[in-house]
Amino acid sequence: MRLLVTALSLCAVTARAATDGPAASPEFFETKIRPVLAKQCYGCHAASKMGGLDLTARVGLEKGGARGSALGESGWLMRAITYTDDQLKMPPAGKLSDAEIADLTAWVKAGAHWPEHKAAVQVAGPGYKITDEQRAWWAFQPVRKPVPPAVKQSAWPRTNIDRFVLNKLEAKGLKPVRPATRRALIRRAYYDLTGLPPTADEVEAFEKDKSHDAFAQVVERLLASRHYGERWGRYWLDVARYSDDRLNSTMDSPYENAYLYRDWVIEAFNQDMPFDLFVKAQIAGDLLDHPDRDKLVAGLGFYALSPEFQDDRVDATTRGFMGLTVACAQCHDHKFDPIPTKDFYALSGVFSSTKLSEFPLAPEAQVRDYKARKERIEEQEKALNEFLDKQAAALSEILAARTTRYLDAVRRGGKDESLDAETLERWTKYLAKEREHPFLKDWDKSGFPSEAFQARVLELIKEKKKIEETNLIRLGGSQKRGDLAGADLVALERDKYLLWRDLFSTGAGILYYKEAKVDRFLEGQWKKHLEGLRAELARLKKELPEQYPFIHTIADVEAPKNMRIRIRGSADNLGDEAPRAFLSILSKSTPAPFTKGSGRLELAEAVASSANPLTPRVMVNRIWKQHFGTGLTSTPSNFGQLGERPSHPELLDYLAARLIEANWSMKALHREIMNSAVYQLAASTEGVAFEADPDNRLYWRASRRRLDVEPLRDTLLAVSGELDTKIGGKAEKLTEESNKRRTIYGFVSRRKLDGTLSLFDFPNPNSTSEQRIETATPLQALFFMNSGFLQARSKALAAKLERAGEDNKVRIVAAYRLLYGRPATAREIELGLKFLAGGAPSQAWPLYAQALLSSNELLFLD
Amino acid sequence: MTTPSRRELLQAMGSGFGMASLSSLLAAPAPSRNPLDVKTPHFAAKAKHVIYLFLNGGPSQVDTFDPKPQLTKFHGTLAPAGNLKTERKTGTLLKSPFEFKRCGKSGLELSEIFPNLGRSADELCVIRSMYTERPNHEPSLLMLNAGHVLPGHPSMGSWLTYGLGTINQNLPGFVVMCPGLPVIGPQLWTSAYLPSIHQGVHLPNNEQEPEKLIQHLRNQKTAPAEQRRQLDLLGELNRLHMAREGDDPQLEGRIQSMEIAYRMQTEAMEAFDLSKEPEAVRTRYGEGDFNRGCLIARRLVERGVRMVQVYYGNSQPWDTHDDIMDLRKLARTSDSGMGALLEDLKNSGLLKETIVIIGGEFGRTPSVEVSGLVRLQNGRDHNNHGFSLALAGGGIRGGMAYGATDDFGFKAVENRVHPHDLHATILHQLGLDHTKLTYRYSGRDFRLTDVAGTVVKDILT
Repeated sequence: MRLLVTALSLCAVTARAATDGPAASPEFFETKIRPVLAKQCYGCHAASKMGGLDLTARVGLEKGGARGSALGESGWLMRAITYTDDQLKMPPAGKLSDAEIADLTAWVKAGAHWPEHKAAVQVAGPGYKITDEQRAWWAFQPVRKPVPPAVKQSAWPRTNIDRFVLNKLEAKGLKPVRPATRRALIRRAYYDLTGLPPTADEVEAFEKDKSHDAFAQVVERLLASRHYGERWGRYWLDVARYSDDRLNSTMDSPYENAYLYRDWVIEAFNQDMPFDLFVKAQIAGDLLDHPDRDKLVAGLGFYALSPEFQDDRVDATTRGFMGLTVACAQCHDHKFDPIPTKDFYALSGVFSSTKLSEFPLAPEAQVRDYKARKERIEEQEKALNEFLDKQAAALSEILAARTTRYLDAVRRGGKDESLDAETLERWTKYLAKEREHPFLKDWDKSGFPSEAFQARVLELIKEKKKIEETNLIRLGGSQKRGDLAGADLVALERDKYLLWRDLFSTGAGILYYKEAKVDRFLEGQWKKHLEGLRAELARLKKELPEQYPFIHTIADVEAPKNMRIRIRGSADNLGDEAPRAFLSILSKSTPAPFTKGSGRLELAEAVASSANPLTPRVMVNRIWKQHFGTGLTSTPSNFGQLGERPSHPELLDYLAARLIEANWSMKALHREIMNSAVYQLAASTEGVAFEADPDNRLYWRASRRRLDVEPLRDTLLAVSGELDTKIGGKAEKLTEESNKRRTIYGFVSRRKLDGTLSLFDFPNPNSTSEQRIETATPLQALFFMNSGFLQARSKALAAKLERAGEDNKVRIVAAYRLLYGRPATAREIELGLKFLAGGAPSQAWPLYAQALLSSNELLFLD
Repeated sequence: MTTPSRRELLQAMGSGFGMASLSSLLAAPAPSRNPLDVKTPHFAAKAKHVIYLFLNGGPSQVDTFDPKPQLTKFHGTLAPAGNLKTERKTGTLLKSPFEFKRCGKSGLELSEIFPNLGRSADELCVIRSMYTERPNHEPSLLMLNAGHVLPGHPSMGSWLTYGLGTINQNLPGFVVMCPGLPVIGPQLWTSAYLPSIHQGVHLPNNEQEPEKLIQHLRNQKTAPAEQRRQLDLLGELNRLHMAREGDDPQLEGRIQSMEIAYRMQTEAMEAFDLSKEPEAVRTRYGEGDFNRGCLIARRLVERGVRMVQVYYGNSQPWDTHDDIMDLRKLARTSDSGMGALLEDLKNSGLLKETIVIIGGEFGRTPSVEVSGLVRLQNGRDHNNHGFSLALAGGGIRGGMAYGATDDFGFKAVENRVHPHDLHATILHQLGLDHTKLTYRYSGRDFRLTDVAGTVVKDILT
């Protein structure tokens, strides 16, 4: 039912006297008015008081803005929100909903009652106040454990989760749809927990198992599977912006051992590491007082592998663990949430007091030995290169002294046994192409003064040396001198420079021989010396063992320092010092400065504390989201004002409380969620609930989802019988045809993301990702139609089906069982047979297999 | 008031814009299902397409678009006011070795190294007062492309397809050509937090065979008739599946995308196949990846692609630290393509609705780069304080220079234009208000122009 508020009805309202009633109650204000003001108006009318109007207290409303009082039924608030004024229309981005306008109208009409509140407490720097309104935001309230509500349809709920869900549905007069079929359910459970499809036998066994706990047993089995960590670890890696390389501007720059962090995450999930410990290990694994500390340090990869952007580490910490957008406060106080700029620099100071480090997985003696050997090799390389450079320079001058003979030989047709063959060939090529200098313009005409040219070349060598000497003197004897601007350096004339470059430069000079090529010109002692240098280097390199394994970690710097606030984010405009400390809004009073080292350990304790209202809520919401498609809060990394408010706040709290109760066990949470009736609903869109809640925010059905890129690629390999299920180890490029490992082990690049990953919505690993956006594009369709990957899988699948029997029909039936875990229908068999009859078996079968692998039934999860 | 049909509701769910709420659905007509469908701009647009010819590395303004007689006069002396801070140290003033010529009826002055471009001088608006914050390639590349100095923000082309969709659904809406990769690489055409469908499709245009340009564009093994038969089978199987599961826009959408992809194979192959152009045309554009890229850009815009970006080359070829004479070589492999492109667009009338941008990430110092003992010392260092960029078409005034640098061409001093202003202006010509083209992410509304940008009205027709 829509509420229509027209200018006419507003006038009618105006004519009446203000009355008390529900619209004057504190509940009405807290549920209907304050949230609208906060969400729609506080962006401009809180701290920033645009147009002079402050909407955070009744007094502000009374005082109004530049145009006058905002109070009263004909005041500026009503005129602005009804869009009845010609000029002032608020909010500017779009009119409020009719229901919101009706509520505000009723509230103003009832006298604009604003519940009393205590004076605001000052917690941050001078001038910054966190108000009671801000503190009252739902996400900052302590986690409590609500009692599950009563429901009418008492036969439906299996668990407390169901009571919360059903209660909301009943309030809207809605009903959940039927339960999913057994086949759909087991497929859903397999993908949800392992990212892999069930085998046909597993589907069949489950369909036949009529015991009351058949599904609970499936869940247990999957939670114990070593593939569980690969599925859920990958979700976390999205948050952790995991990458196997750095974002280097011009070249690939892989991390040596990033995979050790990835494998640690997988293992942490498989071991059901308590989530609070999982968080602490990533922030301060090196500082924890824990018997397994040496194993926990791998968690530091969360920061050790982070992109090197100024705000990234604060951003990933606050959004990733706590759903707060603290990086928004880098240049100014947060516009919507109670986060002063000072808080950004208080956290930033922790990370700027932290450096990259490594944790060797080898005895200290081995590490020392390796480093010493490595240093010796570098010295030897330097000695060799210096010798070669000297010889090359000397050689080029010797060859220059024979320029005339080479030119003449080239003119005669390019043969002369008495000259060096390669040099002659170089001259021949050089003289054949266009040159930028004029000195050899007529070299092939008779009468070209080649002797004069040779003299010019030899003169050039001298001139170049002279210039270098002069410049060195003008630079005060060192090339490293910084201020070159006034040094008045000299250079060769341009044409001469080009000739010098063409003949002598180390890059492309035709008389310059580098490295191995110098050899054949050397004899006697020189040759012996060079061979000695080389042999020694070869020996050293041969004796160098493979580098000891190490984990990328972080460590506190020796002298941790606070940062100063950068006013408007500018490093050139420094404000007050921001003591390293936790966030103001999550502290009882002014946050106590961190005192231990960088403060990472104190930060870790604060983030992963069971008293922190955000950390457990944010994580249970992430887990819920992956099971249901939408989070209870649909903005998983933003629980602030601009995030979505939860659809089921009590359920969110209930789950958060359960997580803490279960010693932060994530597996316990999966268990509780998956054994609920709501998890086991069909993906059907039938029923009246569709009209009322098309987005399924009330969870009256299951949401159909397209497989993410990892289960998508893994499934294609699994059903064609090719998947390599080895766990862990170095990343391999997905473009390698031989790579048949699970997609989580594919190389993830910040610089150039793999084509298949980016085609199927893999998140940009340059910043923390809250959820993947699902797209459907023709370019994805081309992957199924034409990629070498699909063709290879189709061929393998066809070969596998060939083994099922001689007859096409037998093979088709086998294919349906293998891919979809069900019998083929008569029509499907008929279509298959018709298609296969249309071509030679060796051609038709792979094409048929490819069609089955590209089907919606395989790609979507009900 | 009409109640939306079940089908409309289902369609809205599959729109790709996140789930439309019932209330918004009641208020508005059923939204489009495809995020790349053409969308209505904020106001009437002057232009529909953008071609961005990116001379990566930082072309020198005083040798190309910004003549400076005083620089010639004071050649070899130290600039009286000293040199501004750039990446490295620079020395005395260095005159341009090239002559500037008055071109076209307008008499716009351009360097002799761009004779072909000069023929379209009356279409060109040279902004001589561009500037950025940093004298380093990475932040300036990011600023010109995505409006921020740090990585992780959507590129202009992504914003355009997000705001406007694209005209031809059988081709990508945002195409980026570069043989190899420019510095920073794909972060320059990323959709970042926008849906990834808006990401630029990178084509390594050193490849000359069309099927190597788009990932999986061609099936080497299956004959077209066989593939048609296979897709017919797949379509039937998918429809049987949907008949069992009930109507679902996600399922329907994917069935359609297979058909679009099938047509794309032919259409894209055709678009990228330069052998379809007469030899005389190919000759006019000239040899080299960039020149050929200009010709492909024309063919793509003719077919309705929203934005095409052509990088000159791998890494940063216009980064002439050592020797400004290298500009002559660079111009030889770019001038003919740029000139031919402008002429062709003008003749076909497409220039009216296509903005062509020519420029790099910053300019270069008028003073010589002092590079130690060995080199030639005839080059220029990076210069973010002032540089030039040329625009043409799409309602931009031709035959004019806008803004000015100081006497030597070091710093923009008159009518300064920041990349935010440039972006605001381009969006404006495409019918978009840069302050309203926003995307909510990580707790706030992001824009291409961050919190700045002013439309440069003086250069509009």
